[in-house]
Formats: sequence, C-alpha cells, structure tokens
Amino acid sequence: MKPGQWSSWLSRARLSPERRRLLAGPTAVVGLSVVAFSVLLWASGAPAQTQAASAPPAVDIAVGEALYNAHCESCHGAGGVGGVAPQLVQVGAAAADFYLSTGRMPLDSVHDQPTPHTPYFSKAQIADIVAYINALGVEHGTPGPGIPSVTPACAEATAGCPTLSQGQQLYLMNCAQCHDASGSGGELSHGYVVPSLRSATPTQVAEAARVGPRPMPSFGPGQLSNEQLSAIADYVHYLSTTPDPGGLGIAHFGPVPEGFVGVIFGLGVLLVAARLIGNRG
Amino acid sequence: MSTLAERAAARKRAERSQSALDWLDDRLGSSKWLRSAMDKIFPDHWSFMVGEIAMYSFVILVATGIYLTFFYNASGAEVVYHGPYRPLDGQKMTIAYESVINLSFSVRAGLIMRQAHHWAALIFIAAIVFHMGRIFFTGAFRRPREVNWVIGTTLLLTAMLEGFSGYSLPDDLLSGGGLRILYSIVQSVPIVGTWLAADLWGGNTFPGNGDFFPRLFVLHEFVLPLTLAGLLGAHLAVLWRQKHTDFPGPGKTEHNIVGSRLWPQYFVKTNALLLFVAGVVFGLGGLVQINPVWVYGPYEAARASSGTQPDWYIGWLDGALRLWPHWEFRSFGHEIPNPFFPGILIPGILFAVIYAWPWLDKRIYRDYGEHNLLDRPRDKPLRTALGVAALAFFVDLTLASATDLIGNALGVPFETLIELMQYGTFVAPIVAGVVAFRVCVRLQRGQVHPIQRPVGGIMVRDARGGYHTVGAAHDGHEASAEEHGLEPAGAGPPAGASEAH
Repeated sequence: MKPGQWSSWLSRARLSPERRRLLAGPTAVVGLSVVAFSVLLWASGAPAQTQAASAPPAVDIAVGEALYNAHCESCHGAGGVGGVAPQLVQVGAAAADFYLSTGRMPLDSVHDQPTPHTPYFSKAQIADIVAYINALGVEHGTPGPGIPSVTPACAEATAGCPTLSQGQQLYLMNCAQCHDASGSGGELSHGYVVPSLRSATPTQVAEAARVGPRPMPSFGPGQLSNEQLSAIADYVHYLSTTPDPGGLGIAHFGPVPEGFVGVIFGLGVLLVAARLIGNRG
Repeated sequence: MSTLAERAAARKRAERSQSALDWLDDRLGSSKWLRSAMDKIFPDHWSFMVGEIAMYSFVILVATGIYLTFFYNASGAEVVYHGPYRPLDGQKMTIAYESVINLSFSVRAGLIMRQAHHWAALIFIAAIVFHMGRIFFTGAFRRPREVNWVIGTTLLLTAMLEGFSGYSLPDDLLSGGGLRILYSIVQSVPIVGTWLAADLWGGNTFPGNGDFFPRLFVLHEFVLPLTLAGLLGAHLAVLWRQKHTDFPGPGKTEHNIVGSRLWPQYFVKTNALLLFVAGVVFGLGGLVQINPVWVYGPYEAARASSGTQPDWYIGWLDGALRLWPHWEFRSFGHEIPNPFFPGILIPGILFAVIYAWPWLDKRIYRDYGEHNLLDRPRDKPLRTALGVAALAFFVDLTLASATDLIGNALGVPFETLIELMQYGTFVAPIVAGVVAFRVCVRLQRGQVHPIQRPVGGIMVRDARGGYHTVGAAHDGHEASAEEHGLEPAGAGPPAGASEAH
C-alpha cells in the first residue's frame, strides 16, 4: 500500500464528532473492562503444575555427594552433620526432595526464610542429592521419612481409596487456618510467609505435611494416615486445577480482592458512566 | 417530506394514545400531577446521579433477591449433601448451607443470580458512601435538607446491616466466623450482653439451638429490605418536595433550579444509568467469582480459614477490633469486655457525630440560613479537612482488616503493620486533614472556577454605537447562547430548563 492510500483510508475511517460522542461511552467502558480483566487474569495466577508421570531416573549417589559438597556442605556440614544450618543425617528423603524440588534450597543466606522458587537443580540432580541424603540416614541407622506416594482420589468411597470430600474435610480442619480455605496462603506472626499451595504438586503437599518445614508443624502417620494425607493432597490438587465455577478467581483471597473489584472496578465504571451521561443537558 | 397519508396516520396514532391517556385520567385524575412531575427539573451534573447508582443497585438487589428466596432454606437442621459438587459429597451440613450449594450448582441461573446479588450489594454501599461524600463536601445537608441527611445516614446503617445479614445466611465457614465475632461483640455489651446474645441465637452457646437462621432470614428478606424501601421512599419524597441543590453558576440562584426536565431528557439519562448498573452488576456476576461458599465448606466451630474477612463495608469494624489495644476495664468486680469498645462504642460515637453533623456544621459556621446553592469544597476548608480526615480514619481501619494480606504482599510482618496502623488512626487523619486544608486554601487563591466565570465576557458599546464583547467566551454548553446569535447576558439563564424553588 502506498502512503497516499493509507492517508485516504485513515481519513475515511475518521469519525464525525457526533459519532465519536456516541461511541465514547461504550469505548470507555469496553476499554476499562479489558484493562481490568487483564489485570484480574494476571492476578489470578499461573495455572498449577501437573505432576509429570515419568519413569524415575537412574540415581547416582556419587553425583549426589559431589553436588552436596559443592552446594550444601558449607552450611549443613560435611556428611550432613550440621553447621550454621540443621543436620541432615536424620531428615530423610521426603525433606530433601521437598526443599530441593520446590526451590527452597539452596538459600542465598542462612538468615533468609526459605520460600518457593524455581528449582536450582534439574530433576535428575535432585534425585541424586536426595539419594545421597537418604543414604546418610541409612548409614547411621536413623533413616528419615521417605517420599510419600499419593493415591489419586476416587469418585466413590471404597476401602483404601481417598475421596475429595474426605480431603476437603481434613484440609479445612488441619490446613486452612494457615493456608486459607482456597489454598492461597497467608501470613503468620513475625513475618513468616505461608506459601500458596496452588502451584504445589500432590507429592510436595504430602512431603510438607510429613516433614513440617518450619514454622509448619509436622504431621506424622499417627496424626494423618497415608490415605488421609493422599486425600488432602488430592483435594489441594483439585482446588488448584479445577476451573472456578463462578468465573475469574481474583487471586482466591476472599472478600478483600472482591471488595477491591466491587468498589474500584464496579463503582469506578459506573462513575465513568454517570460522568458520560450526567453532564448532558 | 411526508405524504398526506403519512400525516393522517400520525394524527390517528396521536389521537389513539390521547384517548388512552384520557381514559386513565378520567378514572384517576392523574394528569395534573403527572404533568408537573414530567416537568420536574434535574440538574445537569454527573455527581447528582451517584445516588441513583445506589438506587438502581437496590432495585437489582430486590429483583435478584426475590429469585434467591425461592431456593434458599433458612434451617439450622443437619443433612448429608449428595450432589454434583464432589468435594462436598457425603458431608454433613445445615440445610441452609446445602440450599446455597444447590442454588449455586443445581438451580438454573442460580449462581449468576447469587453472584450478581453479592456484587450489587458491594456496589450499592460503595455508591451510598460516594453519594454521602458528595453531600458532605458540598454542604448539601444544610438547612432545609437536614432531614434527608438523617434519613440517608439511617439508609447507610440499614444497608450495612442488610449486607452483613446476607453475608451470614449461607452458614459457610467464612460467614460462620463473622457470626462468631458478632456473637462475642453482642456478649460484650455491659450488663445485658449475655442475655441479648442468648435471646438472639437461642441458647447460651454459639451457634445456639438453630433458631438463629430463620430469624436472620426474616431480617434479611423482610424487615431490612422493607426498612430500606421505606427510607428510600421518604428520602426521594423529601428530595421531590425540597428540589435538588445545584452548584453555583450562571443563571443559578438560591431560588431556581436549572437543568433537564424529567420527561423526556432526564428519563433517558436515568434509564441509561439503570442499564449501565445492570450491565456492570450482571457482567461481574457472570464473569468474576464472588464468595465461593463451596470452597469454605460448612461452618464448624473447630475449623477456621486464614484470610477470613468481612465484605468491604464491614471491614472498618473488623479493623477496629484488630487495632484496639488489649486493655481491660474492671470496676466493682465487673469487667467491660474488650470487644465492646471497638465493636460498639467507637462505631456508636462515629455515627452519632455523622447524624449530628448538620447541626454541628451550623454551630461551626454560625450559619442557620437556608441554602439551595452548594458550597465548593475549597470554600469551606475546615469542613473539607474534617471530611477528608474522617475518610482517612475509615480507610486506615478498613486496611487494618486486610493486614494479613497486605503484610504478605509487601513482605512486612503482621505485628509491624498492626502497630503502624494503630499510630495511623491518629496520624493519617491529621496528615490528610492538614493536606486537604492547605490544598483548599491554595485553590481558593488560584483561578476562578470556570463555572463561576461570567458567560461571554462583557458587552461594550463603542463610540459609534456598535456592540462587541470583551473577554474570553465561557467554554461549556452555556456558550450556546452566543452560538445562537443571542445576546450574551452576564447573569441570564443559560439554555436549558429551569424552575423556581
């Protein structure tokens, strides 16, 4: 297209003042809505990861030891005996896998609060380090809890098969007071962050319950059986992977974002509308 | 150009509608009233329409609310749920909660009606607050409109109660927590508190013997809506009788009102607004999730969820509870429980001041006269500063209700935020008030507001007998006087309808 053609197209597309006045209101509302909804969509967070069902890679304890010596030893001590950071001889595979697969470890500084990040190591490397740390416990005769396996939920309640209903009841009783009923997390006293569970895998949820990463209490098999723990992990997975029945989830934080949307967006659009309508004689 | 046939058809149509109107008029004698009503003048300023946003939200609340009452069942009796929402399947719950779950998942259009109802409630009270701010900052509450200020404040209080009672009806974990707090606040009233709580809930322990939900339901769908409708009727009747206020401007005096007639101009404007309100409310109701009661689960005293907050308009009361220091008052062997102060005394004092404001304002400004023209906020710096300070106070309390979320988002410990906001209850109003006062004074010294500039400059007659205007034309729709070749007059009425007060 030549420049001349462009300008003639533009001049034809130019709207008369009356047309523009007519279109101003709808355009403003549609524009505002698009902006608001893209913000909401962004705020409602990334979709949760689904658990990749891949065959476990072949583990190499020697590689794990080398990685441990390079990245963990300076704080956790040689052979996991502890140093400025806790000992790792008795913690077991569940703790090692939880801290490494959620990117909580390694930390930049021992004074930092471990929070979820993109994992520093690859899956294979994590498996190697986990195997090494697990071996430390076996060597000392004090093996820690292994990585829990999560049974998928069934539609019908049968023996040995967790249901979502069981999961919700156990979740609301044991987890919601800190992690929120919708799993979106929160805050404890002294600035401890309660992470959102909406991007955690069922295995990570189960690991966290067994391990109890500080300040979270640990839930041993006496408090939550393997089946109960599976039910909770399945319910959390269901919460974060099922589309919200009511529309956009607006961060799943309850009445605060709802009030924000209602007052700022809802009333805001209506004030713009009143402004467009009201001053016309 | 119309043909003879077209003209005849038009005449016939007019005659037919005329005869229909005559039929009505013969029986009801309403044409005289209707004619004056259709000629009623509404000022052309957008801020006068914010009250109507609240009114139309109320209309939508009633309409969606009626739909919801067909399916809600206010009973505290226990059932086991079996339905399409799998996580709740087989759980014990009250019939009240079950009916809301069924309403959301099994009733056609139930969820969008429920969500639109909830969004409309949030917008309803937001519009009332905005409207009230307009009334306050422009001095529209002054004589003769004190009565409507009192009615309006009662409307706000009733709307808050109505909102809270509706929030509590589903008997989910979130609202159950709210009711548990309310129960404690009622109990904290000196001397009568425990009896009052036992009477309301039926029984000496929370959540009572199941009498509470039917009572709450009667309040929410009968007593409070009727109160709101009655107060709204009175509010509008007083407005109709006293006529609107208006901003000062060319052609506007204490004794006239300038703007659009109800029929046809204002009728179109106000209905356009109704459509906007309905569009936003149902748009939100269909697209944005609100109060997912299925996630909170049925209420059980042993359970709790973090991030438990009331709806935004109750937030300031929740914030007051969070910020109030852990003081205890004991005398003669009795203790006044702590929640009484932030939960009842402070809100009581605040609303007493709001109710009394028109009379306090008279004393402050020693102005007991009638006013139909509004103040510009900058011309009454003290009033504006006090209003802004009060808003800052409420904002501080409202934010305090969200301390856990704010702390999490900003990475600030909860305790630090609480302490900051405790200081904030004193510092924020003072800072905001002083800033508002200084801004007002600055603005006063600045230019004349365009609305007060004379229309079309000054007419000058020169030595040869010709006329011309000196000074810039007033920009705005009043300039149409010039466009039409009319003589621009300094204080003549602008194009538009007007009537006397």
